[in-house]
Amino acid sequence: MPTQTDNGGSPGQMTGHAAIETEGVTKRFGSRAAIDGVDLYVPRGSAFGFLGPNGAGKTTMIRMLLGLTHASAGSMRVLGHPVPSERGQALRRVGAIVEEPRFHPNLSGRENLRIVAAVRGPEVQARIAPALARVGLSERADEKVKKYSLGMRQRLGVARCLLADPLLLILDEPTNGLDPGGIQEFREMIRAMVEQENRTVFLSSHLLDEVEKICDHAAIVDRGKVIAQGPIAELASGGAGGARNELIVGVDDVELALGTLEGSELVREARRSDEGLRVLLSGDIESAAQVNASLVRAGVAVRRLEPVRHSLEQRFLEVTSRLDAPVAQEEVRA
Amino acid sequence: MSAVSPATPAPASRGADGSPLTLAGQMFGADFLKLRKKRGTLIWALVLALGPVLIFFVVGAIQHASNPQRYEPAGGVSNFHDGLRVIALLFGPLAALLIGVEAGTGDASAGVFRDLVVTGRSRVALFASRVPAALAMCFAIIGAAYAVLLLGTFVFAGGLPTPEGSLILDGLGFILLSTGMLCAVSVGFAALTTSKPGAIIALIAWLIVASPVLANIESLGSARKGLLSQAVAHFSPIHLPEGGHNASIPMSGGLAFIVLVAWLVVFLGLGAWRTRTMDA
Repeated sequence: MPTQTDNGGSPGQMTGHAAIETEGVTKRFGSRAAIDGVDLYVPRGSAFGFLGPNGAGKTTMIRMLLGLTHASAGSMRVLGHPVPSERGQALRRVGAIVEEPRFHPNLSGRENLRIVAAVRGPEVQARIAPALARVGLSERADEKVKKYSLGMRQRLGVARCLLADPLLLILDEPTNGLDPGGIQEFREMIRAMVEQENRTVFLSSHLLDEVEKICDHAAIVDRGKVIAQGPIAELASGGAGGARNELIVGVDDVELALGTLEGSELVREARRSDEGLRVLLSGDIESAAQVNASLVRAGVAVRRLEPVRHSLEQRFLEVTSRLDAPVAQEEVRA
Repeated sequence: MSAVSPATPAPASRGADGSPLTLAGQMFGADFLKLRKKRGTLIWALVLALGPVLIFFVVGAIQHASNPQRYEPAGGVSNFHDGLRVIALLFGPLAALLIGVEAGTGDASAGVFRDLVVTGRSRVALFASRVPAALAMCFAIIGAAYAVLLLGTFVFAGGLPTPEGSLILDGLGFILLSTGMLCAVSVGFAALTTSKPGAIIALIAWLIVASPVLANIESLGSARKGLLSQAVAHFSPIHLPEGGHNASIPMSGGLAFIVLVAWLVVFLGLGAWRTRTMDA
């Protein structure tokens, strides 16, 4: 899985190797900053979640990346090309759905794709049939779009993206309105695009679960600021430099166990919990075995010892609640 | 499910065969397809262009059949002149206006303009391809109306003289100029306003009310030569009385040509500017 290190870049060092790089991007509407000094680094070949609550600035950021609106400040590169100065070059291999996919309702699905293919270039006409097949719309491609369900329009939107033979797909809240089956199908399609076809997917969502299931990298955005970004696993655990290696420990004698662990250099903190004990390790998770050994040597019977699995949701709630206090942007680097 | 085959992208401004013309042709075809499938607009444009001509001949033929002493045959060169005025100066422009506005606002009102912009194609190119598509659709409809006019002129001529070949060609050129100008101006104006109903109302008000009123205000003097209707009227192959909606204020051919070009440059320029700069 590519990481920021693999690609040799990180926010603040625009290298052109990433699918998307931004530095200090700001968008102001009057005195209000919808996007405020955002640095992003989206590794190529990753599924990148742009995660934030409604109104956080996700769509505004996407619109700037696609040249639909101008940034007030900062610089952006898409597939190595500066935007907006080389927008045409940058977007040639980009497919995007911004907000709800829209079509000419009086035209068929196939005709709508013909229109976009004509704009992209004559060679693109040959991709229409495979794109329709890819999203499972071949059978109904000649029906007017006004007869399509929302799920079918979403799939047609993805087919429209595929006309670009995209190296980068930018999808804004793509599962809105899909039923559970459609969401599952969509997830599988995105993962296949990333894992089998080495495309990059940049996906905005306010749904934590969705990002956690689809993406391998993410940025958390709130009130126009990116407050954390990096691989999902590290984001969830608190980052590579500050990973919270925590254990749930079930014992027969909680008091004896607390006394044993108190002062141990292996343990940063130990406290009671519903499960028995919550133990925050000083070192990495490998030291859990030594903690177990020290408890057993002290005569404590250990019936459970399990690493706490941190979810992105926990991390999201932590970092977004911190925004109420003045904090510097936090970046999690691989 | 089959995979989408990878392809080497063509240069941004050229077609696969290296010809910008191929790309332009495809973009024209796409815009023409959008107009062709816009049934409501097409039906209204056909009604406006063909309806009055059909009514003109049907009523004239019935009157002539009921009382040949009092009413002349519905065809012939005199009625051809009247029919030409109807198509070129009133109902034809209304049909052209509807088509032009549809072409100018269709993508934005369907919400697909942003999806065309994210292809990376120049916004000016997106705007530019609408103009020939709108003109092609406009000329097809106006051409049909002119064909009906010619048919009626000859079929119902009775013993009356019929138009000569040169007048037929001049008449065709005149209605194409008259409606084509308004169609192109409408594309630019509609793209500028981005509102279909607003553009239709404003252009109809201009065409039916403001322009004739201004043409009749004599105190405006030669400033009236700047009106689109006056510059178009200069090229009429039939006599248009001075003053009134179908007026012809005398001006040189060169000036009339400059006025037409100025109207095109201003409105197509404004439309292109708005398309290039607006948030998609």
